[in-house]
Amino acid sequence: MALLEIENLTVEFATAGGAFRAVDQLSISLDASDVLAIVGESGSGKSVAMLAMMGLLPWTATVTADRLNLDGRDLLSLTARQRRQVVGKDIAMIFQEPMSSLNPCFTVGFQLGEALRVHLGMSRAECKARSIELLDLVGIPAPEKRLSAFPHQLSGGMSQRVMIAMAISCNPKLLVADEPTTALDVTIQAQILDLLLNLQRETDMALVLITHDMGVVAETAQRVSVQYAGQKVEEQPVVDLFSEPHHPYTAALLAALPERATSNTLPSIPGVVPGQFDRPDGCLFSPRCTHATEQCRTQSPSRASAGLGLAFCHYPLIKGVPQNHPGKAATA
Amino acid sequence: MSEEIVLRASDLKKHYMLPGSLYARPATVKALDGVSFELSRKKTLAVVGESGCGKSTLARLVTMIEEPTAGSLQIAGEELADADKTVRRNLRPKVQMVFQNPYGSLNPRQKIGSALEEPLMMNTPLSSAERADRARSMMQAVGLRPEHYDRYPHMFSGGQRQRIAIARALMLDPDILVLDEPVSALDVSIQAQVLNLLGELQDKLQLAYLFISHDLSVVKHIADEVMVMYLGKPVEHAARDILFDGPRHPYTKALLSATPVPDPGRQKERVLLKGELPSPIDPPAGCAFHPRCPMVFDRCAAETPHLQPADAAQVACHLMDAEKQPA
Repeated sequence: MALLEIENLTVEFATAGGAFRAVDQLSISLDASDVLAIVGESGSGKSVAMLAMMGLLPWTATVTADRLNLDGRDLLSLTARQRRQVVGKDIAMIFQEPMSSLNPCFTVGFQLGEALRVHLGMSRAECKARSIELLDLVGIPAPEKRLSAFPHQLSGGMSQRVMIAMAISCNPKLLVADEPTTALDVTIQAQILDLLLNLQRETDMALVLITHDMGVVAETAQRVSVQYAGQKVEEQPVVDLFSEPHHPYTAALLAALPERATSNTLPSIPGVVPGQFDRPDGCLFSPRCTHATEQCRTQSPSRASAGLGLAFCHYPLIKGVPQNHPGKAATA
Repeated sequence: MSEEIVLRASDLKKHYMLPGSLYARPATVKALDGVSFELSRKKTLAVVGESGCGKSTLARLVTMIEEPTAGSLQIAGEELADADKTVRRNLRPKVQMVFQNPYGSLNPRQKIGSALEEPLMMNTPLSSAERADRARSMMQAVGLRPEHYDRYPHMFSGGQRQRIAIARALMLDPDILVLDEPVSALDVSIQAQVLNLLGELQDKLQLAYLFISHDLSVVKHIADEVMVMYLGKPVEHAARDILFDGPRHPYTKALLSATPVPDPGRQKERVLLKGELPSPIDPPAGCAFHPRCPMVFDRCAAETPHLQPADAAQVACHLMDAEKQPA
């Protein structure tokens, strides 16, 4: 049985302009010690899906799913009290902005110890010993001294290490890292990614890495799920995704990377991600897709086979050629 | 002359004084400590480095927002230190800036048209009809539609806002555009659009770019020359291909190897740097990089290396001497 099973997760926000669907029929399955990367542009519902899983969304959000299980336990039917015992213990999350996700009023030691006290019922002395061990594990020099430091006394990289220490303090089964390195410099980013992968290997936890950086994906993930406007458009093992993308969006995204450019002009994707009020009928990517036909604009596509990367497209690409496509003339 | 030099900086320095307090003695922050470079028309110089390395201070000096503490800065042949008020006033339009965050750099209460016309109102005697004309043609040049003229910034996406910011910077016909991380706040697909636009505009308007970035893949795509900085000092300065094909300074090597490459099949050697950027208030003695350097030897802690030619590049590292005279 998979560790995390999500089937047809949908999240809708009640806004002044009506319901906005941020996550649309998303399915994810994750085994223990898997590393899954979720890639997508801003507004593609990557973070919202994970927050929904953890029950951290505000009351304006309506979360529905056919299945939302962690280790066989249904997360949707949990009461708030039961959920609090799972979140932070079995599932932990690392947030994007390390500087603003630590509480500025409390010391690092207090914030680290909090999770240990609440979830594991440790005594003061045990908390302290374990906190020092954790800080040492994430590579913070002189951990005993750091326990009494306040967040503002730490650099960005150090704060992120503290966040990681906090997240792994209760040996979670699943760690969600939401853009853990976006706010950091490249040399620090390399350190943090190395640290995350080492911890993942040692403790055998599953890791979900939310990111928009294709470079980070290529170097860390085993499997990649590409999201666009709240839908999963493709899922493949990392090597296959980079060598043969099956969804036109993935292909365009990869082609737009400066590293892959063959000429001075980068192949860009025209237009922007649809928002609340300009959501197209049919395939959500159709207004920006070079292969879009009348069918794409009117009918929602169906999911292709696993061999085609579960591409959510009428004409999944094979070696860059759309299958069963009526021809260039039909795209006009 | 094809290689017209529009900006020349030599040994540019900017030191900030920190006043002392009950808890701290007065200190000097050497934000920028001896930077020299030239910028020619239609060329792009990329300045690369981690936060706190002085990239943005450099941008502030070049755009005349702040005065250098020492060193000389020549724009269009005029020495800034000797320039009087009117000369400076005439020079300012020549250097324009595009900021990092297009969500913060546009006034939310100002329509796009008036944001674009404001620089003209301040600096030229044009009538309002002429100004509107110029604004509209500039909007077309950066790929905005005419109906956008009367809209507010919140109605635009990040990529479009950055186009507006670029248009605004170009209104006064500058020679030099200082781009402070212009695409780092944008998504990949939008980033490609903006980079393409910048390339087009450079060709069309003969612009010189000072491109500040920490994203090496973008730099590799757009730059002609690259200057790598560490704690206010340049550590390596070379033509793009020379730098990316064979980085010489250990910091450049580390920076290149730390940058994630979107190619999962590639096996590469990581030069993992230990530790973090030291505080510029109290930089390490000798070479500022020596506490983190994997190749450190005795001389590094004692003596500050200076930028010197090493093959086709300029490198500030004692290793270059060691290579020359194998002892």
